[in-house]
Amino acid sequence: MLQRVYDWVDDRLDITPMWRDIADHEVPEHVNPAHHFSAFVYCFGGLTFFITVIQILSGMFLTMYYVPDIVNAYESVRYLQGEVAFGVIVRGMHHWGASLVIVMMFLHTLRVFFTGSYKKPRELNWVVGVLIFFVMLGLGFTGYLLPWDMKAYFATVVGLEIAESVPVVGELTKTLLAGDPEIIGAQTLTRFFAIHVFFLPGALLGLLAAHFIMIRKQGISGPL
Amino acid sequence: MSEKKHNVSRRQFLTYTLTGVGGFMAAGVILPMARFAVDPVLKAGAESDMYAVAEVADLTEEPQRFDFSYEQVDAWYQSEVTETAWIYREGDNIVALSPTCTHLGCTVNWDANEDYPDQFFCPCHFGRFEKDGTNIAGTPPTEPLHKYVTEVRDGTVYLGTAEPQI
Amino acid sequence: MHRGKGMKFVGDSRVPDNKKPNIPKDYSEFPGNTEAFWPNFLLKEWLVGAVFLIGFLCLTIAHPAPLERLADPTDSGYIPLPDWYFLFLYQLLKYEYASGQLTVIGAVIIPGLAFGALLLAPWLDTGPERRASKRPIATSLMVLGVLATVYLTWESVESHNWEEAEAQGEMLDEEEMEAAESVDMEAAGYEIYSEQGCIGCHGDQLQGSGAAGPPIFDVPYEPDDVADIAVNGIGEMPAGQFEGSDEDLQTLAEFISSGGNPEEGGGEEEESEE
Repeated sequence: MLQRVYDWVDDRLDITPMWRDIADHEVPEHVNPAHHFSAFVYCFGGLTFFITVIQILSGMFLTMYYVPDIVNAYESVRYLQGEVAFGVIVRGMHHWGASLVIVMMFLHTLRVFFTGSYKKPRELNWVVGVLIFFVMLGLGFTGYLLPWDMKAYFATVVGLEIAESVPVVGELTKTLLAGDPEIIGAQTLTRFFAIHVFFLPGALLGLLAAHFIMIRKQGISGPL
Repeated sequence: MSEKKHNVSRRQFLTYTLTGVGGFMAAGVILPMARFAVDPVLKAGAESDMYAVAEVADLTEEPQRFDFSYEQVDAWYQSEVTETAWIYREGDNIVALSPTCTHLGCTVNWDANEDYPDQFFCPCHFGRFEKDGTNIAGTPPTEPLHKYVTEVRDGTVYLGTAEPQI
Repeated sequence: MHRGKGMKFVGDSRVPDNKKPNIPKDYSEFPGNTEAFWPNFLLKEWLVGAVFLIGFLCLTIAHPAPLERLADPTDSGYIPLPDWYFLFLYQLLKYEYASGQLTVIGAVIIPGLAFGALLLAPWLDTGPERRASKRPIATSLMVLGVLATVYLTWESVESHNWEEAEAQGEMLDEEEMEAAESVDMEAAGYEIYSEQGCIGCHGDQLQGSGAAGPPIFDVPYEPDDVADIAVNGIGEMPAGQFEGSDEDLQTLAEFISSGGNPEEGGGEEEESEE
């Protein structure tokens, strides 16, 4: 039955090459920890992606309860953490995942650097990877404010002051981020929310897609 | 099952295990979140409180309108909600009807239309109800007005939730 | 896939007629033992992933995500700290040569050079050699960068007073919350409390405000002691805070030692009703 449905779709859309391209390749010995244990360093990229998936999913679920508004944001976070079943776990996943994703990405970057995998012909993939790094840091910075507690607020105050200290464009950048040249408040929170939930994830998905397509296109780098 | 199918190739076995492990990971990630999302459905309905609405002495045979308000807790948001009840006496019985029309939720009024005295009248689609809340055949509503759970303590009428009469 | 003139069409669609047979391709690109990605290698990867996930879930259960009290922009005593992965930048800006007049260096030039170099690494290090040991300049610069980042983060963690910061951010627990809620803002004592400026440090519900003043809805003092403290100070609280009549002082002292409920006469008993 399933086979017939598959064939029916395949006849029309030719989907076999799509999954064959992903599933049907051999993994060389030098990246396989089963052959050389030191090859575990090649796992960091995959783990980064796994946590990213967890982040996207848990983030989607958190917005079911969260409101980006300075009056209610804190109360809603407290409610979803304290009153909703498994709220501690879902918020915990998002909170700790944010740190872990940075750690894993850092390790992945070091692996790629020290194995020289960014060299010709993979320069573009390295650039995309570093851009993903920046987007992740941006996600961390904007997400930190959202619970609107003491730590969140003052960390953002400091972060925005650093942005402001940049010459020429500093003040402009800060106003754009905070939504007001003076106040860090209602407009800052909604802006950070929009950036954290729509703009940066959109950019992230695009960059991730480019990252993976390039890996499939160029293959994994050879042994040292 | 034929004998042949017991011979699982190595590749098939690995694929099954792979699906199992994949399923475990998906479940581990999704289950807490799913429980988190469906929490409102599974949360036991809070015991509804009774609110003091009127004095028994004020009630007559004629339905009267009484407004009462209470604190509603909506997750992290608390607000004062005002509800209305049409209350009248029927011998020793006290009847409190909800003014929400059972057709499409407009608000009914007692004795509001000159053509239909002593009936609840809904201005939206001209739905009508008898004094005891029964819907009048030939008008849009299909069920009687909902009735509040009532309780009398020390000469005061307390109302609970409005429940369907049927 | 066949493209161009040799391509066969199914009906009027452009889907090629011939199908790929479902057998793994031959890979001889790399020497050594290769392994099929699906299902052999992926299974191992996912096993690692599953173990990782279990550990991760245990972490989330064992350590709930922290939540401090509601942001209070007026609380100037709070020691702010960014999330840990920005600490290196935060710490960098503490140094003399990277702050003050020279903030530009710490906030723009150094991070700009570091991240710019990272982004453009493929064009800065163009040699054909891939081994880390065969390209000493790139490797040592990276090691230096990593060490600097780790060092700065470490320094920042060291110099931060974690205990004090935690105390500052702490949420009121439920009992305290109730005590703070029950403060009688109509009382004569409350008026004096706000007029005399006590409210500035001890909050509008006697709940305190982090570093500036501790919560005082449950002080273990008799009214006379409170009056004494209001005039002469205690600990970090300076003397001479109260400027008013003795009568007011007495009212205020009674108001505070009763936990904000002078009529009900007791700050020790929490009100359980409501």
